[in-house]
Amino acid sequence: MAKPKLKPEIKTESLVSAAPRWNVVVLNDPINYQAYVVMAFMSVLRIAAPEAKRLMRAVHAEGRATVWTGGRERAEMLSLELQQWHLNSLLEQDG
Amino acid sequence: MAELRLTMTKEARTVLTDLLRLVAPAAARVSVNRASIPSADAEVAGFWTETLSSQAAEEARLLAVAFASAKGDPAVIVLPNEAQAQAFLRALSAVRLALRDLVFADITDARLESAEDLDDDALPTEQRHALACYACFGLLQQSLIAQLCPEAFD
Repeated sequence: MAKPKLKPEIKTESLVSAAPRWNVVVLNDPINYQAYVVMAFMSVLRIAAPEAKRLMRAVHAEGRATVWTGGRERAEMLSLELQQWHLNSLLEQDG
Repeated sequence: MAELRLTMTKEARTVLTDLLRLVAPAAARVSVNRASIPSADAEVAGFWTETLSSQAAEEARLLAVAFASAKGDPAVIVLPNEAQAQAFLRALSAVRLALRDLVFADITDARLESAEDLDDDALPTEQRHALACYACFGLLQQSLIAQLCPEAFD
């Protein structure tokens, strides 16, 4: 007797859910000097002066700017460090 | 980096020291109150608050010691290294924020940013005095940044 040829159908599916990303946002303030904000960005975000100045100008012009995006833990750390420089920083979930 | 120095007249040192005695304790409270602390995770929020509070206390101590040890005329504040200089810079920012919140909260941001308002006869004497100190602390910050990180300026 011939055996029935059963070929199981197997479907595989990968479900990759990306971890939520978080924005570190800095709000403009009238107290801290622009050079001070540039220095804070260079120190906390480990970026060079031209990029720090670009971010500072964005904060100044728009009233707020996202200065970093990524995982929550690092975002929390950067936001806290910016607050230690007395900048108005906060966390927002991306998207 | 070699030590950094901030020089001011004896009178400026006396006036700023007197104001610091009044403002420094409040500055610690202001810097924590102003901070946007994530509240979803109690453990994170607790760590966050504790970090800012202890830093604020350290900044108040640093300012008090620095101004108290600035003797002579002109008075010179000596900051032995870059880390101390950065901490001093942040401490001055905390004091300016506290002055803004506690002494001239009624002055708009736009007026605060324009230098001519610093000597406005219409303002109460206490506010004019505080505004002059606010400007002096700002000048000290600018002087420090020029020594620490000149590329931060345009």
